[in-house]
Amino acid sequence: MAVHSFETMGTMVSIRIADADLGTIDAIPVLNEVEHNFAQLNETFSLYREDSEASRIASGELALADSSELMRDEYARALQWRDRTGGAFTPHRPDDVIDLSGTIKAVAIDQAAGILTEAGFANFSVNVGGDLTTAGNQAEDIPGWITGIVEPSDRNTLLAAVRLTEEFPAMATSGSAERGEHIWLRPETTKEFVQASVIANDIITADVLATAIISGGSETLNQITQDFSVAVVTVGLDGAVQANAKFQELVAR
Amino acid sequence: MRARSAFFAGMGSAAIIAIGWQAGVGTLVSALPESQASASGTSNSASSATTSNSSTSTTDTSAAAPAATTAPVASGPADGTYDGSVVNTRFGTVQVQAVISGGKITDVIAVKLTDADRKSIAISQQVAPMVRSEVLTAQSAHVANISGGTYTTQAYLQSLQSALDAAGFTG
Repeated sequence: MAVHSFETMGTMVSIRIADADLGTIDAIPVLNEVEHNFAQLNETFSLYREDSEASRIASGELALADSSELMRDEYARALQWRDRTGGAFTPHRPDDVIDLSGTIKAVAIDQAAGILTEAGFANFSVNVGGDLTTAGNQAEDIPGWITGIVEPSDRNTLLAAVRLTEEFPAMATSGSAERGEHIWLRPETTKEFVQASVIANDIITADVLATAIISGGSETLNQITQDFSVAVVTVGLDGAVQANAKFQELVAR
Repeated sequence: MRARSAFFAGMGSAAIIAIGWQAGVGTLVSALPESQASASGTSNSASSATTSNSSTSTTDTSAAAPAATTAPVASGPADGTYDGSVVNTRFGTVQVQAVISGGKITDVIAVKLTDADRKSIAISQQVAPMVRSEVLTAQSAHVANISGGTYTTQAYLQSLQSALDAAGFTG
């Protein structure tokens, strides 16, 4: 397996390409394209860059209505997720600034996977700061991609290991102990979970729903497991673990 | 493959617990080791999942079911079946039994899952408390990726993920 790592969006990207795909395609230009795509999205959407389009909207210099089509499309996408999660996920910061970082990182992961697939790679994973999507198998004798979930009370150990496969290739973990700047607890919600992992058919769904569970608590958790085909495992404030049946199916054995 | 076979054996009881939670205890034996490859099949039917055994005893209402089931293990209990607390939730009451053998949890039986109404039954099937040490014991062999919050660059360097990177982990 080959690993390519680089830094973007304030975190690390690790792209793994399985042996089966090595040697058949020149990976370097493809990885460059992936890296460039991350950088471009970051330039547009980062609120840490004063010159980004997102920052210019936040400062009032640019009206949302006059922003790029990309910006408006991504804002619309985030608003759809707000509605689908009963408001537990939202692109609006408490100070009303529009912050799309909650979806853009996942969009970037999704697009990276698209670029790799387009180039002919069939067995890879794209992991951005612990949120990832996968394709194919990690090795000839290991179907899918075995992915560990960090134990929130001891980040050097694993809570569980799951096998990501074609039907459920993407996984995201949100934690209130980590950089939670795109998670805002709803005023009426007390914090119930220190960590939530969601496995889904695509990384955007997984990422948004993991965030929503942290933000919305058990009410949102129940809504999500009923409304979406996802695997979920949560760790409560008291360390209690909950999971749904689909998660139990995916536990690597 | 030898290592993985050993892992299967180790995960046997975990699988029992996992499946026990969703289907009651009766059906699970057939679902053990060999079925791993077809793990994506949905067994998620909406039929009732309630009770396998009736139970007596313990009725203190503590807050968390998992704590109730794990607590006896930590103190090195004798073999046997232990009733967990009856936990009242807004959807009804929940109680589990833990079967202890050789100082380890070998099974968790759902004595009572919430059944206040049909919706509550559905919720019980979808998300259930689990015994961490048994059900979720991590097997780190072959782990190619780590998921866990959003790492800062600095935290990343200290994380398990970076250790895998540094080792040139090859799965």
